[in-house]
Amino acid sequence: MKTTSGPWMATRASERALGRIGLYAALALAMFFAFFPIYWMLVTSLRPNSEVFAFPPSLLPQTLTLEHYANFIKNPQLLVYLGNSVLVATTTALVSLIISVYAAYSFSKFRYTGRRALMFLVLSAQMFPQALLLISLYLMFSELKMLDTYAVLVLSFTTFTLPLCIWMLKGYFDHIPTDLIEAAKIDGAGQMQIIHRILVPIVRPALVATGIFAFMRGWNDFIYALTLVGKSKQTLPPGLVLTYIGEFQSQWADMMAASLLVSLPLVIAFILFQRQIVSGLTAGAVKG
Amino acid sequence: MSMERVSPIAPSTRGWQKRPGRLRDSQTAVLLVLPAAALLLAIIVYPLLNSMLIGFFDKSLIYGGGTFVGFKNLEAVLNNEFIPVLGNTLVFAIGATLLPFFIGFGASLILNGPIPARGFLRGAFLLPWLVPSVIASFLWLWIFNANYGVLNGFLRSLGVISQNNSWLSTGGSAMLAVLLAKTWQTFPWIAVMLLAGLQTIPADQMESAAIDGANRWNRFTHVTLPHLRNVIGIVLLLSLIWNFQHFETIYVMTQGGPAKATTTFSVAVYQTAFQAFDLGKAGALGILWMLLLSVVVIVYLRFGMRGEEDFS
Repeated sequence: MKTTSGPWMATRASERALGRIGLYAALALAMFFAFFPIYWMLVTSLRPNSEVFAFPPSLLPQTLTLEHYANFIKNPQLLVYLGNSVLVATTTALVSLIISVYAAYSFSKFRYTGRRALMFLVLSAQMFPQALLLISLYLMFSELKMLDTYAVLVLSFTTFTLPLCIWMLKGYFDHIPTDLIEAAKIDGAGQMQIIHRILVPIVRPALVATGIFAFMRGWNDFIYALTLVGKSKQTLPPGLVLTYIGEFQSQWADMMAASLLVSLPLVIAFILFQRQIVSGLTAGAVKG
Repeated sequence: MSMERVSPIAPSTRGWQKRPGRLRDSQTAVLLVLPAAALLLAIIVYPLLNSMLIGFFDKSLIYGGGTFVGFKNLEAVLNNEFIPVLGNTLVFAIGATLLPFFIGFGASLILNGPIPARGFLRGAFLLPWLVPSVIASFLWLWIFNANYGVLNGFLRSLGVISQNNSWLSTGGSAMLAVLLAKTWQTFPWIAVMLLAGLQTIPADQMESAAIDGANRWNRFTHVTLPHLRNVIGIVLLLSLIWNFQHFETIYVMTQGGPAKATTTFSVAVYQTAFQAFDLGKAGALGILWMLLLSVVVIVYLRFGMRGEEDFS
């Protein structure tokens, strides 16, 4: 793209037009990559098996049916998985948030020996391999006779939600001016009062965002729930794998309907809290 | 997270003790962090060290046991699966870092450009990232399905292939399939991170570069890239660390197969411990895995903490 020939403005304009075409082409390509798989999941979940098992597949469904969604609701085992997922992911998020608020405040507003080492631990804890941790967690919980309980799921999920929550909340507390805390102290407020009456109300939106991240991570866990508990306590990800990779192999349409249902809560949470989620994401240290 | 404020606790308040019976600040701080610290020690530090320690013992998940065998497990692992597993892990970790990086970078530039419905698209592009890993694996298993998969349909109608290909039953294409699934799921995260970086480039810097006659490419290499250096570093290192231990996509799509062609450290450790019940060997694999991983983690911690006064 040389600017030496022709009037400068004209070249700039044609460069801009060319750029615009290239941009739109790239956008179309990126949209195809990002959205076609989701479209395919939706279409597969809505067409009868006669169309699912036809080759070559037609891009548009000929008949629409909700039978695959009905199959999910009619399967009592899948509903057990769903209930477990809701229970465990919510509990994990709440427990992690409560413990993290105090730790994050301590990291953010105090200086003491051991603080630095602890913060390194929190930051690096998200990078330790789960499969390796799992070996000892399994042995430990087995010794404590805790295998196959909800508690074991909440505790094992905490290995990744707690560091995440502490780190995110610390980031938010860092933005709260220390003067505010000093002023409260002069007014005679104790540390607990400062946390409960001043800090928590201020960072409520941040708590919500952090809680959603923790919930998502719990909702998505696969390896711990696959291994530490049996069928009655299992959550959706391992439950669906056992169902559709094992028991009902190649029930692709049922699988896609279940897939959409499992993703839906996350999409709804995202639509409701898009701004907080995106800013939490870009603050770093949140697993992508 | 890199913003640092005025030193919160002035030296004079360090020994602050206004009323009898109230804790000093430093004691309070330690008490506040205690539950979290205790939990982290109990469910992360202890299990991690213990798992590696098991690598020096002969221990079975079913029969128990625990004879100290020194370096026997490590030797066995190094002589057998280590090299192929390391190879697969590197291919997966590097591929699942670079592919999403380039696609995500492209997407961030597009989403930063003058496109219609920009705000909406910026949100919508995060959809694949919202899908849980296990679900993304289901979806791509279906797309890659040999008999009814849409990929074979596409390629056959385009005339690229004349027969249905069973992508997941040959080593190379199975790895590619897993990489593609992972790329689809992660590129939005990279796009969002880089987009946040792009939005902090001052418009006048771009303008003045343009007026100086810099073309698109020169503006990209001389203004955009230097500005994004930190974000790019963080995104690449974090991706590498996470992909080095990623489990779900591989385990769900291929279970490490065919013929162990996609068996990475995470899959190998899991299968050795929970399907072959050989905890000693799994621990030995884990020791080697942690050694390699810690190199990248240390680089990240140094990089990520650079300029963070918090840690000084």
